[in-house]
Amino acid sequence: MTTKDIVLDHVTIRFGPFTAVDNAHLTIKGGEFFSFLGPSGCGKTTLLRCVSGFSEPSEGRVLIGGNNMKGVGPNKRPTALIFQNLALFPLMSVADNIAFPLEVRGVGKKDRRKRADELLDMIALPGVGDKKVHELSGGQRQRVAIARALAVEPDILLLDEPLSALDLKLRHHMRSELRAIQQRVGLTFIYITHDQGEALTMSDRIAVMNSGIIEQIGDPETIYNKPKTAFVASFVGETNAIEGKVTAQDAGMVSVETPVGRLTGSAAGGRNYKPGDACILFIRPEQLVPGASSDGGNTIATERVKEEFEGNSRHLFLKANGLDLRLSRVNTGVKPDSETGGAVDVSFAADKAIVLPASALAGA
Amino acid sequence: MGALRRTFNGFASKHGLGVACFIGVAVLFWMIFLIALPQISMLDYSFRYNLPAAEVGGPNDVYTFANYGYFFQGNDGTFNGLDIGILVKTMVAAVFVTIIDILICYPIAFILAHSATGVSARLMVIGLIVPFWVNEILRAFAFRVLFGATGLINGIGLSTGLWDQPIDFIRADVALYSGLTYAYILLMIFPIFNAVEALDRNQIEAARDMGASWWRVHWRVVLPVAKPGIASGATMVFMLTAGALAAPQILGGPSNLWFTQLIYQWFNQSANWQRGSAYAVILLIVCIAFVLMMMRVFKVSIGEIGR
Amino acid sequence: MNRETGGGPLAVGYALLFFAFLFGPLIIMVITAFNSSSFPRITPWECFTADWFGVLIGNDRLMSGLANSLVIGIGVVAIAVPIGLAGALALSELNPKLRAALYTVLITPILVPGVVLGISTIVFWGALGRSVGAGYESVFFDGMFLTMAGQVTFISAYAMLVFLARLQRFDPTLTEAALDLGATPGQAFRRILLPFLKPAIGSAAFLTFLASFENYNTTVFTILSGNTFTTALASKVRLGTDPSLSALAVIIIGLTLIGAIVHEAYTRRKEAERSGEAARSRIYGNPVLKMMVHPLSVLALLVAVAGILIYQGSRYDSSVCQQQILDEKRAIQEKLLEEQRKRIQQQKQLAPAPVSPGSGSASPSPFGGAFKPNTLAPKATPSDAKKDNPSPFGGAFNPNALKPQ
Repeated sequence: MTTKDIVLDHVTIRFGPFTAVDNAHLTIKGGEFFSFLGPSGCGKTTLLRCVSGFSEPSEGRVLIGGNNMKGVGPNKRPTALIFQNLALFPLMSVADNIAFPLEVRGVGKKDRRKRADELLDMIALPGVGDKKVHELSGGQRQRVAIARALAVEPDILLLDEPLSALDLKLRHHMRSELRAIQQRVGLTFIYITHDQGEALTMSDRIAVMNSGIIEQIGDPETIYNKPKTAFVASFVGETNAIEGKVTAQDAGMVSVETPVGRLTGSAAGGRNYKPGDACILFIRPEQLVPGASSDGGNTIATERVKEEFEGNSRHLFLKANGLDLRLSRVNTGVKPDSETGGAVDVSFAADKAIVLPASALAGA
Repeated sequence: MGALRRTFNGFASKHGLGVACFIGVAVLFWMIFLIALPQISMLDYSFRYNLPAAEVGGPNDVYTFANYGYFFQGNDGTFNGLDIGILVKTMVAAVFVTIIDILICYPIAFILAHSATGVSARLMVIGLIVPFWVNEILRAFAFRVLFGATGLINGIGLSTGLWDQPIDFIRADVALYSGLTYAYILLMIFPIFNAVEALDRNQIEAARDMGASWWRVHWRVVLPVAKPGIASGATMVFMLTAGALAAPQILGGPSNLWFTQLIYQWFNQSANWQRGSAYAVILLIVCIAFVLMMMRVFKVSIGEIGR
Repeated sequence: MNRETGGGPLAVGYALLFFAFLFGPLIIMVITAFNSSSFPRITPWECFTADWFGVLIGNDRLMSGLANSLVIGIGVVAIAVPIGLAGALALSELNPKLRAALYTVLITPILVPGVVLGISTIVFWGALGRSVGAGYESVFFDGMFLTMAGQVTFISAYAMLVFLARLQRFDPTLTEAALDLGATPGQAFRRILLPFLKPAIGSAAFLTFLASFENYNTTVFTILSGNTFTTALASKVRLGTDPSLSALAVIIIGLTLIGAIVHEAYTRRKEAERSGEAARSRIYGNPVLKMMVHPLSVLALLVAVAGILIYQGSRYDSSVCQQQILDEKRAIQEKLLEEQRKRIQQQKQLAPAPVSPGSGSASPSPFGGAFKPNTLAPKATPSDAKKDNPSPFGGAFNPNALKPQ
């Protein structure tokens, strides 16, 4: 266990009768880029404020580097928080902002300025130290906020949706920049976001949260390919959800009776189903292929509704017995013949589909 | 006590122990020594006899209703029509002044919030504030210059032949009401302005677009938004008018007293502080009761005052 | 003006009318300060004079009141601003229910009539003083102290409202960020919240000083036998009016206007600098013009203009004109007197009953009795007036008798 490890030991946070975080229990390893992903109001920011010391857990403990943080104020914790609105001090210059953590620790004026200039070089903004904060662009402010947080070399950097105020292009650029900074300084990053793209591209591991409960923890591939709950499957990435009832299970494969016919998928995580269990079969749009299956497997007869072209891919919107389905293909430059016409058969491989117990979906 | 302690700890963890102590001491000092205890002493005092200094605290220093009794019945036990009449007149006049102020200020507040732009709005704000940096007494004095027997208005009226005898505006209280209306204009405009400013300009335009008349737009769209501001302004103007002393002393007719002048007389001319205190308590209670009643009628809360 | 939302001629007309109401009385008062007539008025215009300023400055009671007012004002600022700040901070942190209760308590002093506050203050501190056995020389019976206590009671609430308005615009994550970066709560307060509140401290100090200086209703009780500028002014107005009060208004309005213009120059400059338009703007881009519109140069210019006006005013001699007016009046009076003598002679011849020459109410003077109050004005003694006024009616009805000799 290093000083940069964080343990959330059965943390529950309540506001009166409302439970914001319910029994969060996990370990974040030193040097890890760890994301909390979930819709707004799922409790991820509450959890972050608990780690940074602005609130105490109602139950359980927060340990940083093995030490219980109970009663330790935010100014005494080895964490630095980057706020959603960045919270740069508007009345101070950029250099004073960055040097603020040093100033309150009694570091002399000259040394402060030197360190601020070093950090400005690191974030590739040399020479802006004497500017006022409002003179900087959004991306520059972003980087200044990071430099300020790094000024006293915290063990853990906490980031609360720091990219949400930026435009799309800058956001994509900042993703790789954040990741690069994290790898350079070797800190533990805890990243809060509702944007699954951000979480998937940057993180070592992701915890998906829904209404106060951590639904799944895992690396991006696992989260995307092997979701453990219906919520994770529907929240992370695009997917087609087909509700049905289990008819039979053969080892890892489950047969499901659905409104669009009998389909087969893999049982996630070695789960066992009884016939008659309500379940949902998830199949990603990119795993659906046009045309009937050659071996008589999963085939759905659909009606074509419309087609959308998105540059690198095309999306086919289908309807099967009242159910909306979506099929995505990489744009090869050639428009396939089979995608024209009213009636279309689509099929998928059984091991690409996942069967999960029926529960609430994201956005439902 | 627990809540107080939690609050204090909250301050300490947010702003530091020193600041928390400062907040606690300052607010408690303000509440206890400046607000609560003085009012309580005044109340206590109003139930005592006016005794020579030597007898204070002696056996004769007992509680009595005599001072309040005097207000209602005078010395001879009959109805004290004079003092009660003055109180009623003061209240009615204060209501009158408040209503005039609402009527004058509502259009200006609306124009300032929604019609004036840029330079004109800025000039208007400065123009509103600057006259009120001039001393209250001098403002009253200006009205005396205006309305006096040889004042400008009489001068104009006489020289143009509108009337041939100087009109005594002072005795008729015209000068007083004008002066009071003038004195508290600012306190009416800014609350209404703050309320009306929050109104989305598009709402007015939409209503106009749908063919509503100006009268209707104001009645249905603007007035409901302005109501808390009007209530706030009206409360302040009413309380300050009812409690005004300078303007009635300077502009009031010699035979027409304001209730505060009665209090002043008990203190400074009759040296009967106890009775003066009783009259002050009466004024305070009547004013507060009236304001609370009006707030109930118009469904606004005191929390909206001063915003 | 935006026609669609209620601009147009009606609104402009109303606004003009409104501001005429607002400024009319003040302008008329200002003009009367320069009329040599001993009652503040415009008609009839007698002579342009700056003498009333001298009368004003020679008024000892006003001037000692002014000194008291300044001391009280500074004291009130020093106490009321911190108390108001504490109140605003307390309100901003409390939960909604406690907040509403505390707000009601703290805002009531604004609504309570000033006379009630004044009375309760002297009664309370007096009782406290007696209970600790303090003498009448002690602080509990000191008008200055009591006035400060009484004024602070409600003026703190004004300061609190100023701070509350500013605090509403404060982003609390800034304090959290400071704490998170290692600042102690005290450091965060000093480095983040206090600098943010600095402009509000300035305006609260200004407002509280003004409120203290202007206050009459509370002060007239709490000052006991002493005087502040405002109470001295009020007693002067009540006893009788002369244009030296108008002269005072001229000074105050002049100071106000200088303050307002300098403040406007300052805010415009700040805004231009903030929005980054400074370099592009025609005025701020030009170094000479930029110097010209600097608040300090504006202030210096205005002060210089005021200084020249004061100098010119002090040099201006209106005595020739006033003498002329005096002579005219004397001539009229002589004539009237002559007529009256004739009448008396005639009456004597008809019926030898004596008629009192002092029947002032029947005075043929065109000025009526309106000047009676002026007999109370300081420095006007009948003997002074009689010296150069042979009228049998004495100087009492002669306005010019009141001019400083």
